[in-house]
Amino acid sequence: MRCDVPSILEVRDVKKSYRLGKIHVPALCGVSLDAKEGEFLTIFGPSGSGKSTLLHLLGGLDRPDEGEILIDGSNILRLSDSSLAELRLTKIGFIFQFFNLLPRITALDNVELPLTIAGVPDKETRDRAKRMLKSMSLDSRESHRPYELSGGEQQRVAIARALVTNPKIVLADEPTGNLDTKTGWEIVQLMKKINREGNQTFIVVTHDPRIAEEADRTIHLRDGLIETITAGNRKGAGQE
Amino acid sequence: MRAKKIFEMAVSNLKQRKLRTALTTLGVIVGITTIIGLASLGEGLRTDVKTRMQAGFELNNLVVFPGSFTAGFGEPFEQTDLSNIRNVSNVQLATGMRTLAEVIVYNASDARLRAVTVAGINFTEMQQMLPERFRLTAGAFPSDNDTGSIVLGYTAAASNETRSVNVGDNVTLVITLHPSPTISYNINETLTVSGILQEAGTSGITNFDYWAFIPMSKATAIEFGRESYQIILVRVTDAEQESQTATNIENTFNNPYRVTVFVPSSFMQQVDNILNIIQIFLLAVASISLLVAGIGIMNIMTVSVMERTREVGILKAIGAKSRTVLTMFLTEAAIIGIAGGLIGILIGYGTSYALASVLSNFIQPQQTTLFSTPGTQALSITPIFTPQWTIAAFIFAVTVCIVFGLYPARKASKLNPVEALHYE
Repeated sequence: MRCDVPSILEVRDVKKSYRLGKIHVPALCGVSLDAKEGEFLTIFGPSGSGKSTLLHLLGGLDRPDEGEILIDGSNILRLSDSSLAELRLTKIGFIFQFFNLLPRITALDNVELPLTIAGVPDKETRDRAKRMLKSMSLDSRESHRPYELSGGEQQRVAIARALVTNPKIVLADEPTGNLDTKTGWEIVQLMKKINREGNQTFIVVTHDPRIAEEADRTIHLRDGLIETITAGNRKGAGQE
Repeated sequence: MRAKKIFEMAVSNLKQRKLRTALTTLGVIVGITTIIGLASLGEGLRTDVKTRMQAGFELNNLVVFPGSFTAGFGEPFEQTDLSNIRNVSNVQLATGMRTLAEVIVYNASDARLRAVTVAGINFTEMQQMLPERFRLTAGAFPSDNDTGSIVLGYTAAASNETRSVNVGDNVTLVITLHPSPTISYNINETLTVSGILQEAGTSGITNFDYWAFIPMSKATAIEFGRESYQIILVRVTDAEQESQTATNIENTFNNPYRVTVFVPSSFMQQVDNILNIIQIFLLAVASISLLVAGIGIMNIMTVSVMERTREVGILKAIGAKSRTVLTMFLTEAAIIGIAGGLIGILIGYGTSYALASVLSNFIQPQQTTLFSTPGTQALSITPIFTPQWTIAAFIFAVTVCIVFGLYPARKASKLNPVEALHYE
């Protein structure tokens, strides 16, 4: 781990539980970690270990019951819903297992969506979205709707959408979980390339040990607690 | 997110669900069509009634009767009463009429004419008072001291259905006089027809078609009395001041039961009020249909929000604010309101013309009813579209849609992004 690089994400003793009927189901029982700018982190663990919950908290989609989460210096517990939405819009990009593209609009429209929400002028929105799709080698698929695209293509559209606002943090929830091995591997390589070139922090929740191997660090979660944090074999990655 | 984009997205969302959007909009269209139809027909009816009344009641004319509803008909007015009335401010002209109590009019061949009332009048003043109505179709008005002449109303010159008297013919008046309650006798007067009035139809308080007119001096002579009047007609200069003038006329009499002033414009005001109430009632009924449409919108939008939960989750994860989601859904509701409103207004225009022609054919005046006279015109409603009603209907449509869209839109905006993303 590189110590000279500032943290973009800080998590301090975060707890989160869900209510299922009358009982509280703990999902996270005191998790602390931080992520540096440009780092490629994976969160690894079995089902129910709290990976997705942690990722949602890191992305400001939900708030912790206890503890602090600082995203680029902002404590998300202190932000209003509206400011939190703003933070997601400008600083965070999400990539989901099931792509989560809007089904009835074209690939280009999907990529434009975050810029549209941000109120970026039409022409700039279109140019940036096109450029982003081109960088994903999807320029020929601009006017296709999600159901006209393959899984790998859909995930690349989703990545383009996550990156089009040039966020500091990209969060991915099982991004290869719904893809075949070869396509999954291509997606991993693509994310790594972007991480290297854009110095964006990637935090990837995964079951796939091959992704973990590519990471700077891997956080192993079990039963809502961090079991270990291991360094990946990524070139240049430090030792925890 | 800019308003233009929100609008574009809302339009695109509605387009993606064409049938549903069309059916939802149909509800609004039906509501607005009903409202516009009833409003324009009501407005048309009101205008038609008003026009008839304006034509019927010479609106700047007052009618003064002796006596009152409580005290009954009183003694006829004296000449001093008439000159007092002439001195009231805003009175331009006043003329008296003396009606003969019981008269039957026969033509030269002893056929009974249809004259109902014979009145002594001042012909010169009467022409000034009712320039539109008091016109001859044949002959000439006699001079006011010509005691041998009579002018017949249009129908009064007929026996049965046909004209049986012409200008220059003689007619005989059989007049029953009652010098005391126990004594009565008939006298006959033969007069020459100097003119026949144009058909005037039912106007104001009576129908002059059934009247016959003789000079005041002759009427006075027949009844062996001084000049006096059962009716005084008053023309005012400023119709707006009519009610005040009526009060002032009443005040020229010491006894308030001595006089009744009939103010046509106040009567018309009442009729106008009644028409207003009817129209508001009709619109209230019509509004219910729009409320039903509103509930339809709420229903459809609630289903739509459930269907689009995941979509809302995605938007929120990407960074859309609750307010943006709310505005998006409300915009969809508003677009349905705008489209339904505009189409409803257009169809409402068409429908009301169709309805008006159907209604006009249906409601023909019945010749046998008590109130109708041969002069009553056929009813014809022409729908009238006032900008006020059109704008009000449009605003109502949009408001109803937004109000009923508010609940589902809020529901969408309050969705928790994590739960929404996992919604199947």
